[in-house]
Amino acid sequence: MLFPTVQFAIFFCVVLTVSWALMPRPAAWKPFILAASYTFYAAANWRFCLLLAALTVANQVAAILIARADERASKPILAAAVAVDLGVLGVFKYYGFFVEDIGDLLDAAGLGLPLPLLSLALPIGVSFFTFQAISYVVDVRRGLLPPASLLDFAIYLTFFPHLVAGPIVRAREFIPQLATPRRRSDVAVGAAVTLIAVGLVKKVAIADFLAREVVDPVFAVPQAYAAPDVALAAYAYAAQIYCDFSGYTDIAIGLALLMGFVFPQNFDRPYRALSVREFWRRWHMTLSRYLRDFLYIPLGGNRHGRARTYRNLLLTMTLGGLWHGAAWNFVLWGAMHGGGLVAEHAVGERRLSRVPRVVRWLVVLHFVVLGWVLFRSTDLASAGRLLGRLAEPGAATLWSLPAVAAVLAVFAVQLVPSDARQHVRGWVQRRHPATLGLGLASVILLVGATVPSQGVPPFIYFQF
Amino acid sequence: MGTVPDNSLYRTPDARRAGAREAIVCVLLAAFLLVLFAGPSVRSAGEEMNRGVVRSVVLAVGKPTGWLADRLPLADAVSDLTSRLSPEEDLESTDSVFAARDAGAAAVPPVTPDSFDPAALGEQPARPGPLRTLLVTGDSLSMPLDARLAQELADRGGVRVVRDPRLGTGISKSELLDWGRLSVVQARKHRPDAVVVFIGANEGFPMRVAGGRRVECCGTPWAAEYAFRVRSMMNVYRRGGAARVYWLLLPAPRDGARARIARAVNAAIAVAAEPYRAQVRVLDMGAIFTPGGRFRAAMAVGGRQTIVREPDGIHLNEAGAKVAAGAVLAAVRRDFGP
Repeated sequence: MLFPTVQFAIFFCVVLTVSWALMPRPAAWKPFILAASYTFYAAANWRFCLLLAALTVANQVAAILIARADERASKPILAAAVAVDLGVLGVFKYYGFFVEDIGDLLDAAGLGLPLPLLSLALPIGVSFFTFQAISYVVDVRRGLLPPASLLDFAIYLTFFPHLVAGPIVRAREFIPQLATPRRRSDVAVGAAVTLIAVGLVKKVAIADFLAREVVDPVFAVPQAYAAPDVALAAYAYAAQIYCDFSGYTDIAIGLALLMGFVFPQNFDRPYRALSVREFWRRWHMTLSRYLRDFLYIPLGGNRHGRARTYRNLLLTMTLGGLWHGAAWNFVLWGAMHGGGLVAEHAVGERRLSRVPRVVRWLVVLHFVVLGWVLFRSTDLASAGRLLGRLAEPGAATLWSLPAVAAVLAVFAVQLVPSDARQHVRGWVQRRHPATLGLGLASVILLVGATVPSQGVPPFIYFQF
Repeated sequence: MGTVPDNSLYRTPDARRAGAREAIVCVLLAAFLLVLFAGPSVRSAGEEMNRGVVRSVVLAVGKPTGWLADRLPLADAVSDLTSRLSPEEDLESTDSVFAARDAGAAAVPPVTPDSFDPAALGEQPARPGPLRTLLVTGDSLSMPLDARLAQELADRGGVRVVRDPRLGTGISKSELLDWGRLSVVQARKHRPDAVVVFIGANEGFPMRVAGGRRVECCGTPWAAEYAFRVRSMMNVYRRGGAARVYWLLLPAPRDGARARIARAVNAAIAVAAEPYRAQVRVLDMGAIFTPGGRFRAAMAVGGRQTIVREPDGIHLNEAGAKVAAGAVLAAVRRDFGP
């Protein structure tokens, strides 16, 4: 069930109303919200509800056993739970990649890999809910969180606003919010409606428009386009993926706020970053801190000298790339960002700060855009083909005013100072809820008019 | 015990205080306004969905709201005001162009020379003009086949490939997109010399036939109506004999219910092409990907076992699209030369 659809609108109106009606009685509210979340997930494929339920039970059992065991005995339990979570991720997401691509490498080395070729359906959101399950058992073992009740943990894992594409909410951020009923007198309605409206505009009016008019044609057949169109498509994809993913996140956070729950921030104007490091503090922030806390720091972080720090950075970012998808272009994209972080580390912040800000901004922006070309391409060969076309002079056939304006607007808005943004947000949030409802309906009508006959395409991050 | 985010993360200090009641009022007011101004869209969305609980729920809401909106001028007013924002021509249809069918159905239809593929009779087929524009269209099945064909022909040069996939659409559902109307628009706009059509992932919907009766999938009445619609489109795409049409039959899907629909669709396409064998080629993807009608995810490609289907058990993946593109290009070369 996609957020910008009629079926979700009906679903949410019912769930929001019943949820607040039941909120004072947790014994009724909790089963209701769990059932609603499973209904939401079942709309995509009911069979995967069984997988979700099985993972919930397995991780809850592990968390309870970890809490009861001493430090030493809890380690293998944690390892088993993480292995189960990563096993699920591995089978559904990486099996085909492993059998086909790694199998080829082993074949070339004379080592066959006698595994059957299967085309497994990918459970939507598997990368997100397995990571959240891991965060729960790890945080329980670290003593940061006592084991929750099975019902609370199940709600945390499946809560529909973040179930399929994040943000990756940590158990210790969400489960405490279930401890007491949400306050009926304190709902951030203005902020929620603003986020939902902005998210819809980003996704439907900008991301899908750029995909349709510029990005998809060029990335599908780069040979048919010359440098001006290829360059526009690269910038347009940077704008598209930002609007698509941050638009989804905005809607998810807004829906949760209306229900009385608060998710962490996931984006903070990433294209204003002056370093790769800063970019990752602003882009998919919940994944960045997850990789930092559950991979980079356990690997040793920056505690064991330069060489180990560089290795840890490269490994963390490469695995982060692989998390996005089972393909070499994602691996290379992650490694490229890891390389960027290593290079910045090697040069040092003091020396970097001597470079003019505008130069740093341009370098980082183009580094990121180049990375997105790798990310978007179906394979390395097509990425190479596309980049090769940048040397091909020719006509700008896709440079329409709306397309260029949309790309420039996405970058320009990120450079607007915080004060000005805060001023606009404040103005909106002071409006009466009825005015906000009227505004939301107007935005939906306007945005809906831009939807082509085939409807709204899925969010990019649904495939991860 | 950790940092729990609170409302201050998103709410400005001077925001208006509000509670659950205001949240519900705000959302329900927006929903009510949308019903008034876009009620028929809810009904249309429901009618376009596959059978199931979700469809029933959406229709339970959509029918009364559509009824209400039909009696108010608001939806039309909004449609007029926002029509400039629409990315395409009006392709919705409550009265499908397929409804304009021949009168005198009882008469014996004439058999013309177009019913025969000259090659099948040992004759030299009439060579069409040069291939300048190739249109690839259909539903999601036509992707990534369209990109693969465009890549192959881009390397050859001189051929413009127009890719026009319409995801989520179907010939048996014409509420949101009427393929009868779209085919006319496509033929007029692009004037293609060759048209590749791969569609059928979203079929199986009840269709209204002559006399207003609805026929359910997938018996002979449904197949007959589907064949009529496909034949109408083939006739448009062949542009009076100036163009060649390559219509791909569906490879068997994994799911049994979908397989039943695919069988009816394939049978209808074969019948639909009969009057136009001189210009319409029916390319059997089932023979390539699912011989004997048995689904398989992988097959030998270039001597190596390769996954050719997407995990959904319906679509072709990149490798499968490459195989299909090879079959299409071979047929195109037979007609237009190398």
